[in-house]
Parts: sequence; structure tokens; C-alpha cells
Amino acid sequence: MHDEPHEIAAENLTYTYPGMSRPALYGVSHRFRQGEFHAVLGRNGSGKSTLALCLNGLITPGEGRVLSCGLDTSVPTNASEIRKQVAIVFQTPDTRMVGSTVEEEVAFGPENLGLSPLVIRKRVDEALELAGIEDIARRQPQQLSLGQKQLVAVAGAIAMEPSFLISDESTSMLDVRSRAGVLKLFADLQERGVGIVHVTHFLEEAAIADQVVILESGRIAGTGPPGELLSDPTRVRNLGLDPLPATMVAEELAALGHHTGGYILTAEELLLWSRA
Amino acid sequence: MVSRLSLKDVSYSYPFQDAMALSGINLETRPGEVFCIAGSNGSGKSTLAQICAGLLTPTSGSVLYDGKPARSGSRLLNLHRNVGLLFQSPEDQLFADTVRKDIEFGPRNQGLRGDDLAARVIDAARLVGLPLQDTGGRSPFSLSEGEKRRVALAGVLAMNPEILVLDEPFIGLDHDGREHLISALSSYVENKLATIVLVTHDLSGAWPLASRFALLSESRLVGIESKADLVLGNTDMLALGVRLPQWGVLAKELLHAGIPVEDPSDPSCLAKALVRRREVRDDR
Repeated sequence: MHDEPHEIAAENLTYTYPGMSRPALYGVSHRFRQGEFHAVLGRNGSGKSTLALCLNGLITPGEGRVLSCGLDTSVPTNASEIRKQVAIVFQTPDTRMVGSTVEEEVAFGPENLGLSPLVIRKRVDEALELAGIEDIARRQPQQLSLGQKQLVAVAGAIAMEPSFLISDESTSMLDVRSRAGVLKLFADLQERGVGIVHVTHFLEEAAIADQVVILESGRIAGTGPPGELLSDPTRVRNLGLDPLPATMVAEELAALGHHTGGYILTAEELLLWSRA
Repeated sequence: MVSRLSLKDVSYSYPFQDAMALSGINLETRPGEVFCIAGSNGSGKSTLAQICAGLLTPTSGSVLYDGKPARSGSRLLNLHRNVGLLFQSPEDQLFADTVRKDIEFGPRNQGLRGDDLAARVIDAARLVGLPLQDTGGRSPFSLSEGEKRRVALAGVLAMNPEILVLDEPFIGLDHDGREHLISALSSYVENKLATIVLVTHDLSGAWPLASRFALLSESRLVGIESKADLVLGNTDMLALGVRLPQWGVLAKELLHAGIPVEDPSDPSCLAKALVRRREVRDDR
């Protein structure tokens, strides 16, 4: 949606919640690039959600810094520009709905940017279309299913035309059908040049990312492409996560003396091997 | 054996709404059983949970407790006394200013005092893995999501119900949290011969506990299936909006590709089937 690619750079980021002795994040450095899909994985309490909140400046680092699209999140006057560039959606969409209809809800962000009514109308229509929810534009958000509400929340974020979309476990309450809808929408946005940062504890959702960041006790335990990070079931289990079953089958194949060559994460890749 | 909790032709519509939230539901649960009700967001499963717990009264049909309709009066009261409901969101359940008071609330209302009350609270907290010495005096609202869920469940277990109705108890729990909850629930069922009705859209937590899975779609029960039916049968789980454990998904995909799957949860069995397929190709 923008000409120059941006990035969100966490540099030696440390954050401690008020009243707590141990930092929730400690010395985290990572670059999230526009147009890429980064998944953030980790067990409960590993610091995933804290990182998400730091990336768009909802909380600011105690030490180190976060540069969101070149803007230091610790500088209060940067806040409104950062909110324009870096949108965030949460696990429970219900608690944040303010509009009395879906389209009012989606228009809420652009209205606060002070855009003209014509531009707002255009942005809302585009966002509803992209999210595939034009048919419910006039419905009350409260009457929708959880999956539909989450699509409305993402549409509201899209209408801000951000460079980045941060998803803080936005799929964890959703059923598989709704989850597939939200993930498809993320992929469409990525194709349009938006950077996606998706916090999740579902490994199969991290497996479709360009880059995976694994957090353990507030520190980065690994970053890299999914194949590199997720294909060793023992390592995944030690991080308190459920290994992908295909990786366990690949491990068994290796034990039987069959080496599969490249990384195997999916049933499709196992089948390709069996047909080779 | 008389069914512990059963539903006979239960339908429900919310006040001022035309659409039925539930339509013609029949099911029976047995003592010592974890019975899973699976369906997508909006399929009616939370409504069904509240009907099982006697919080909502069916528009038509009946809820039977120990074989007798529990519609009003002492029979409904009896149902309320013996069923514990865990809501989907712990915020709907927690209310006291300390964790200890929250867990005490139920058994205190049952008339327990002194050492009996304290023992009940300690047992419940231990079962869910909540360190009471650290958290007992804290506000439940200051805890993490996972800890809040544990407090809410401890509050229900402290009432010692013989039927537990759990609405999405595994949401937001990581691997360790889920494993802990599975073992807590399984020992509760074994020790008390309790019945658990587990309502969910994600079967990975229910899988080691339940043997029967009722599938709910658009307010109706469309089948009651075993684990083998779910993995090896033709039910389209994606269309139902129900997430199989990832094992099941993998096994289904291999089956569709013509690989024979004997034990879908055994990686070595799947690996051998793939090797056989590759060798057949090599022979040709």
C-alpha cells in the first residue's frame, strides 16, 4: 500500500510490567519487514503478546528501542503516526467494537484520521470487499459470529491502510473455518505489500510464515524460516509446543534409514517423498 | 444403567429471536464418561452447555437428571446442585477480590465451614495446579489468562459436582497447560465416577479424554461418532468448523492420497505405510 518498504526494528528490547521483578521481554532484537509474514511462537507467558504490544507502541520499552517504520515508539509525539502505519487485532474482537453497524465500525479508524467523507467511503468499501464481508455491512456487530467479528476487526485495521498488521492471537478463539478465512485475508494483505506479524501457538499457522520467531522466557530462542525451526520435533517439544505430526513421521522415516533430504512439515511434502 | 444426564427432543430459541438456537437435540451421558459436544462458533454449543447445566430452560423437550425431568422445583434444584458449569470466558465466572474467596464461594454456599472448607479449596487448587500459597491472596483479575482459567475451574471443582459441563476449557492453553488440565480432569472422572460434558470446536484437548463426540451443526445434532469414525470416516470436519488433532488431519490427508492408515496416531505406522508406497513405485 506504500511505495518504500518499511520495517519494524526491535533493538535489544527489554520490558518489565509494573510491579513485576522479572522482565517479560529481555534483549529482544528482530527486524519485521513489510510484505513478509512473520509468525511469533512460544508457550504461555513467553512474552509473545508483550512483543506484539511493543511493536505498535501500545507499551514502550524499559531498555532498548522499537523503531516502527523509522519512528521511535518511546517518543510520545510519534504515537499517532505509528498507529496509522501499524494496526493491531486482538484475540477477542467483542470488547473493542464501538460502531452500531459493521460499516461504522470499519469507518471508525479512518474517521479519526480526519479524512474526507468520500475517501472514508472508498476505504471502507475496499476493506469490506477485501475481507469478504460486504454482505454484512449494515448488520450490528453484536449479532455476528465470533469469526465474522474478527473479520470486521481486521477490515477496520485494513481501512487504516497500514504498512503492518499485528495479530495478537487473533485466530485462537476461532473455529477452523473462520481461522482459514482470517489467514487467507492475511495472505491477501501480504500480497498487497502489508507486513504481517502473527502471534500464535498453532504450529500449522507458523508453518506458512516467511520467518518464525520463537520466544522462551522473554528471550528469542530462535529465528528463521519455518523449515529450519519447526522440523525437529524434539526441539519443538522442548519449547513447550506441539510438534507438527508430519515432522514426527519424517523422524521415523529417518530412523528406518530413509532420509528425506529437505525439510518436511506437511502431509503434502511426505506424499511428494513417497512418490519421488 | 440409568443415564446420568440426558436431553430429550430439546429445542431452544432465545427471547425475541425467530431462529432456533437448538433444534431437536437427543443425547445421553453415562457416569464415568467424558462426552464431547463439537461444533463451530455459532453452532449452538454454548447454548447447549447452559441447557445441560440448567441455566437455560428448553423451549420444548426436557433435560433429564438420573432419568427424571428437571424442569422446575426440587428436581431443577437437584440438577443445579449436582452440575458445575465452567463458562467459556473466565471473566464471566470470577468475581471475588481474592483467588481463595473465589474458590471458597461455591462450597461455602453448600454449607461447608472451617477445616472442611479449607480442605476442599486446597484439593481443588491442587487438582488444577494452582499454587495457592502464591496466588491465594491475589485478585483473580491480576492473573494471566491461563491462571484465571485455573481459578475458575478450581471454583467449580470445589463444589464436588458429579457432572461437569466445560465450555471450551482448553482455549489459550499451551501444550503444558493442556496436558495438566487433561490429567486433572481424567483423575476427577476416575475418582468420582463423574460425568464431563466437554463443549469445544478444537478436539485436540478432548481427544485423550472423550470416547464419543456429538457433532453439532447449525443448531442440530448431525451425528455421534467415535475417534475412528472421525479420522477414518468421511465426515467433512472443515465444513463442520471442528479442528481435529493435527494427527487426525495428517491421517485424513494420507488416506485421501490412497495410503492405508492403520493407526493414525502412531508416527512409525504412518512412516512404514509411506515406505511401502515408495517401494511399490520402485518395483515398477
